[in-house]
Amino acid sequence: MATLDLNTLTVREANERLRKLGADGEDVEILNPDARHHIGVGLVHKINVRVRGSAGYFCAGLTDGPRFIVDNNVGWGLADNMLNGSVVVNGNASAIAGVAIRGAEVVIKGNMGSRAGQVMKAGTLCCVGNANFMAGYMMYGGRIVILGESGDKVGQDMTGGTIYVAGKINALGTDAMVIDLPQAEADSLREFLDRYEIKFKGDFQKITNAGKNLRYGKTEPRVRVIPFFMASETAGYWNTKVQEDIYVKAQIGRYRIRGYGAARPFPHLNDLAFRKDLANLPADPEVISKVNLKTSIGGRSGATPLDLSMPVMIAPMSYGALSKSTKVALAIASGLSDTSENTGEGGMSDEQRAAAKRIIYQCLSGRLGWNIHDMQRANGLEIYISQGAKPGLGGQLMAKKVTKEIARIRGIPEGIDLRSPSRHPDVLGADDLVIKVEEFREATGYRLPVSVKLGAGRVRDDIKIAFKDGFDFVELDGMQGSTGAAGNEVLEFVGIPTLSAIQEAMDALAEIGASGKMPVVLMGGVKDGIDVAKALALGAHATAVGTGAIIAGGCIACLQCHVGQCVVGIATQDPEHEKRYNVPVEARNIHRYLEAIRWQLAAITHAHGYADVHQFSRDDLVALTPEAAEITRLPYEPELARRAERLRKAS
Amino acid sequence: MCGIAGIMYKRKNGHDGVGKALISMLDACQHRGPDSTGFALYYEPVEGEYRLRFYVGEGEVGEKTVARIREKLKEYQAVVLDEDAAGGTHAFRVRFSGDLQKFSYDMEHVAKVFSIGSSLDIVKDIGGAHDVDGSYHVGKFEGTHGIGHVRLATESDVAPDSSHPFWATGFADVAIVHNGQITNYWKMRRRLEKCGFEFNTDNDSELIAVYLADKLSHGTLEDALKTSIDDLDGTFSFLVSTKDEIGYAKDRLAAKPMVMLEDDNLIAIASEEVSLNRLFPGRPLNTFEPPPGTYKTWRRSI
Repeated sequence: MATLDLNTLTVREANERLRKLGADGEDVEILNPDARHHIGVGLVHKINVRVRGSAGYFCAGLTDGPRFIVDNNVGWGLADNMLNGSVVVNGNASAIAGVAIRGAEVVIKGNMGSRAGQVMKAGTLCCVGNANFMAGYMMYGGRIVILGESGDKVGQDMTGGTIYVAGKINALGTDAMVIDLPQAEADSLREFLDRYEIKFKGDFQKITNAGKNLRYGKTEPRVRVIPFFMASETAGYWNTKVQEDIYVKAQIGRYRIRGYGAARPFPHLNDLAFRKDLANLPADPEVISKVNLKTSIGGRSGATPLDLSMPVMIAPMSYGALSKSTKVALAIASGLSDTSENTGEGGMSDEQRAAAKRIIYQCLSGRLGWNIHDMQRANGLEIYISQGAKPGLGGQLMAKKVTKEIARIRGIPEGIDLRSPSRHPDVLGADDLVIKVEEFREATGYRLPVSVKLGAGRVRDDIKIAFKDGFDFVELDGMQGSTGAAGNEVLEFVGIPTLSAIQEAMDALAEIGASGKMPVVLMGGVKDGIDVAKALALGAHATAVGTGAIIAGGCIACLQCHVGQCVVGIATQDPEHEKRYNVPVEARNIHRYLEAIRWQLAAITHAHGYADVHQFSRDDLVALTPEAAEITRLPYEPELARRAERLRKAS
Repeated sequence: MCGIAGIMYKRKNGHDGVGKALISMLDACQHRGPDSTGFALYYEPVEGEYRLRFYVGEGEVGEKTVARIREKLKEYQAVVLDEDAAGGTHAFRVRFSGDLQKFSYDMEHVAKVFSIGSSLDIVKDIGGAHDVDGSYHVGKFEGTHGIGHVRLATESDVAPDSSHPFWATGFADVAIVHNGQITNYWKMRRRLEKCGFEFNTDNDSELIAVYLADKLSHGTLEDALKTSIDDLDGTFSFLVSTKDEIGYAKDRLAAKPMVMLEDDNLIAIASEEVSLNRLFPGRPLNTFEPPPGTYKTWRRSI
């Protein structure tokens, strides 16, 4: 057995050695842990680890296979997302013990803190003492065994899984109920307790989900197809889309869920123009070779940066909202264009990984499809806090799309209307977030850039927090961003426009003396090379395209993404519908779209006399409307707007 | 968004003193708040004497402010016994008798007051626990109890005067440190302002201090903490101290961490166990996590 002493080693050094010892199959003893955080994080080997004392946050987090014994207490997030293996804690566990576990066995000999087993998917979490507030909160599967008292609101909003309580049930949570305990389950519990040498003779009560909140009472009716562009261009107070919204509400008696984003006009990048007259731009087919578009992002804290061929990424979109075929086509296109793909919420597939040269792996509140192996084979990690289309809310995936396969990957029950949690279990403030970021770095040996995705709301505060929490870059998503499903009013009225978002972000960084120190990737309605150039001039380091890439790949923008019967095979999990999607063809289409952006961007850069795309600055821009001028503080040039209008009419 | 720590000794000997203990505890959780660090320390009170600490700034501005404070003290017939400058602050020890609340508010109008009390001295500044110790020699403070805070500014400035602990303006010796966010801040603030209380920052933690002080003026600390759990909305774990008590309150949602250690020698409370373990390296501790919606106070025994 090897010994690692935290009196002489930092946790980072100890974890590095632990991984090596794990690969050699050697057991390890950790001395003087003194409640330090991240002990054992990222270990994927079946070794025994003995922690001689107390461990801090995320002990044994993001692991697969090891068997831990902790002699004393543990902090928040014990065994976070542990796949296989076990942890036995001889003392107490703090909040969210067993959070998001996917098969591990976790035994706490003392008491456990609040929200134990939050969003767990599979495995067993056993507490010999008392549980606390909201044990089993939003759990999707597996079992929680509590020998003492349950604490208040046990099983709050649980979707699946089972909670067995031997002591007093203080109060059941919303949508939880007590049912009879079958003998086979009682025997299985007995077997588990025997295996961990827990002497207990009492009986258990069984708590499960009551099933009242798993589906919306009525699903959205089929409506006539109003393409997004038509819905968006009608500025009148009453229009076809408003009429359709009312029809839907009249059918279902609640808010309407739909795909796509805000369908009303906002100040946007369109309302800016380049100060320089580009009308006589010579059409030089070789322009791409004459300017540098290369963009490196994510290296500010020593991680391996993403070296992109141009400042344009694919925006995060989930496998679940989109078909696997679509995700693979996006990955192929990103590879062909030498840029990056992003998994979105629903996990990473082998095909997607293989096709993409670089892939960012997104971690969301529900930890759906999240695991250490995919983290370690990603090129970048991203903590999703919110998105521009629905800031402050979790994702929605309607039952039709929660197929057996999607349920398996995400670790959730099949056929529910999935509403992802709006908050991370372990991020309830900037202080917790610091510790979470560090966990991700530990799990991947400080090799990967860790970024944060922010939906534009309180950008000024959020950006400052992101900087202080040490993120390598920020993905900032404005209100014009789209989504696969969200409440219509949320899409239309929550958040702030992309233009305001980037301006606030730059102001915030300037206020704390951090201008240029943390790259911002702007997304939310970025559609062509002109938008990209303007975004860069406003201070973004790169951009990402989502809606544009989907449309390039055949989307007809009918707003019906949530229904799951997408006529072009994009927003569906139905194999019959997915058949309509031709991966090689659409991958080429998306790739050509990205190349069109590249050419446009190169041409504009060259026309400005710049050798590098990152030479754009605010001095290159003017505002065409008073609103855009007010937001960006750029000079207002109405004459340019009138000239543009004349040109448009002439053409 | 931050880390908090508090300690009260039950015995005079066998420890390094409150100052050193708080420095260690806060240093251990500095990751929770790298922007600024602060301490509320309690000296032995002397009848009729008060300690005042002002934030005055550096250089000429600071000197002018100190001169204005001296004038105001004279106006109130407060006799200066002792003065000391450290960091951007200036501390006075004065003899004073009169309406302390009126005196405090008037002083606040002259310069930013960090604390006034017969016992309390709040030192807080930008930087880590050891940086602040370097300027203010917190480690030399022995005492019986104190609380401290590390801050990660999320909404207000990174500045000495928006750092914690917060003094309950107008009420001698009451200080708080808070981790979390009070969401009914403006509602509660307006209610207290109508009763004549003054607020000197837009920081939600100051509200907790003033709220508790108001309750303390017609009840016990325990009562004040009890009602705070109902009256304050949001996420919070906070510590409060007076010249002879410390206490905690935790919101019903248990959104913010707190862990404590109590034995025959001390009571120590912190955001994370790693802070408690700093006091006892290499020793597994029998700690306790307060349940949501609970509060408790401890009174000085020495």
